[in-house]
Amino acid sequence: MRVVIAEDNALLREGLVLLLTSAGHEVAAVAGTGPEVLPALLKHRPDAAVLDVRMPPGFRDEGLRAALDARKEIPGLPVLVLSQYVEQSYAAELLGGGASGVGYLLKDRVGRVDEFLEALERVAAGGTALDPEVVTELLTRRGNTPLDLLTPREREVLGLMAEGHDNATIAKSLFVSERVVSKHIGNVFLKLDLPQSDSGHRRVLAVLAYLNGT
Amino acid sequence: MRQAAKATRQLAGAAALAFGTYLFISLLLLTVAGTVVIVGIGMVPMTTLLVRQFAGTKRRNVAEWTGHKIPEMYLPIDGPLRHSLRAVVRDPSTYADLRWMLAYYGYGALGYLSVPLWLVGLPVDGVRCGLLGRKALVLPQIGHLADLDARWSEALLRPSRKALLVERVEELTQTRAGAIAAHAAELRRIERDLHDGTQARLVALSMRIGLAKRMYDSDPKAARTLLDDAQDQAEHALTELRHVVRGIHPPILTDRGLAGAVRALAAGSVLAVSVDTDSVDTGPRAPAAVESAAYFVVAEALTNAMKHSGAGRAEVVLTCTERGLRLVVRDEGRGGAEIPRVGPGTEPGGSGLLGMHRRVAALDGTLTVTSPAGGPTIIEAELPCVW
Repeated sequence: MRVVIAEDNALLREGLVLLLTSAGHEVAAVAGTGPEVLPALLKHRPDAAVLDVRMPPGFRDEGLRAALDARKEIPGLPVLVLSQYVEQSYAAELLGGGASGVGYLLKDRVGRVDEFLEALERVAAGGTALDPEVVTELLTRRGNTPLDLLTPREREVLGLMAEGHDNATIAKSLFVSERVVSKHIGNVFLKLDLPQSDSGHRRVLAVLAYLNGT
Repeated sequence: MRQAAKATRQLAGAAALAFGTYLFISLLLLTVAGTVVIVGIGMVPMTTLLVRQFAGTKRRNVAEWTGHKIPEMYLPIDGPLRHSLRAVVRDPSTYADLRWMLAYYGYGALGYLSVPLWLVGLPVDGVRCGLLGRKALVLPQIGHLADLDARWSEALLRPSRKALLVERVEELTQTRAGAIAAHAAELRRIERDLHDGTQARLVALSMRIGLAKRMYDSDPKAARTLLDDAQDQAEHALTELRHVVRGIHPPILTDRGLAGAVRALAAGSVLAVSVDTDSVDTGPRAPAAVESAAYFVVAEALTNAMKHSGAGRAEVVLTCTERGLRLVVRDEGRGGAEIPRVGPGTEPGGSGLLGMHRRVAALDGTLTVTSPAGGPTIIEAELPCVW
């Protein structure tokens, strides 16, 4: 796929290019400052954009702003935002415009090359990739909710769903069969009183909406 | 005779000023009347500034006669009307000046007395000195008049204890705000250094290890290169971490004390730096904050000298004084360095000199930069502390 990268740190920029090209992706353009991002995205219309939150000139949240603006200009443009630290409100802002084709990961995750590439592909395909730390915060934020009714295993499954994984991946990472995963998911939806839905993208949305809403 | 002439000049100045005061007090009354009907309230800061001009002229006039200066202590009057009105009302000097002005309305007339004294004194003292060989009697009175005028004026125009305190509070408020801003800027700098430097390096390092793992089976040679790269990154990350730590609190200060740390700085500089720390070597150690600030100033000054002055050598002198620590950094470069003006819009941190100034002011110290075009540049810091 064709990817546009926005990252001001030369070291990381070069690393990302190396990583993406080695996985057979094409880097269409690289932006080094906030104001360059949107024009690059409009010009190249990539299959996905990988953006750093903090960019020059202000070193605040220029990358995030650019991602939100770009999704206004090009609805559904898949963006994967990389952050130096997890900020719940950044995740909420990104997901606010619809969670389809949105990713928000800690920069550290890039080191797990396979998982990072898998997340990028998921986002490019219209899915969601949410950093485990964001999900953990979402799950532990408040007490005394239906979440307390979940068994530890069901919480794990819910967390992985919120991160954006499908049944097969969840099964693999928990070392159980897909059938067991389906059962857990059924229980989760029952306990949280969510409408049952297929393993597709709508399910992630329902879970995130629930976690953000309660 | 000459003495009397000088006193007359002095009194003439005083008389002129007194005349101005008469005019001005009328204007003042007008302002007061205007203020009562609100319309003139905008004139208050202007009028106060004019009063200060008058008082300032009188202070200089008196200083010329007595030979010693009367210090001026005013709160600045600027900014929007509300702000400047507040300064006018809060400044005790406003009332002191007005008191003086009203008093001067009366004793300003002393100046005019010199005219009859001359008229009487010339013939009388002419006869006394010229014919009788006695000492002059009348003309010296003119000098006494000028003395009296100066004494009264000084008593009225000297800043009161209260004014001194207000000034001190103002100064402390400003330095405290400066200290907080400097502290915040420091934290931001450290955060940025850690995020953009060390953390980025570690991510890049982790990325290379990840890629190497991916290629391990298919292309062991490429994987090996990536691992070599990764090791380089790890070493760079460690170096950067050391820099960041040194910026927070130089470990060498803990290990070697200020004198040792400054000698290490000098040794590490590309300039040929001579260091004189004799009086610091033997004395007790200054408080950690003072040592830290002194080290920072020397480090910044040497960096500036290296970057901007074009000089090949520099000189650092550290001295323990009764009141604290004094340090001087001097280079024979091209000069022209100055501390940028600090305003509300100034980005915290600012240039090296501004940073130095803030860091020193935060400890109630003073920083003086003498840097005429063509050099030399002398940076001098006084950091008060109790030994």
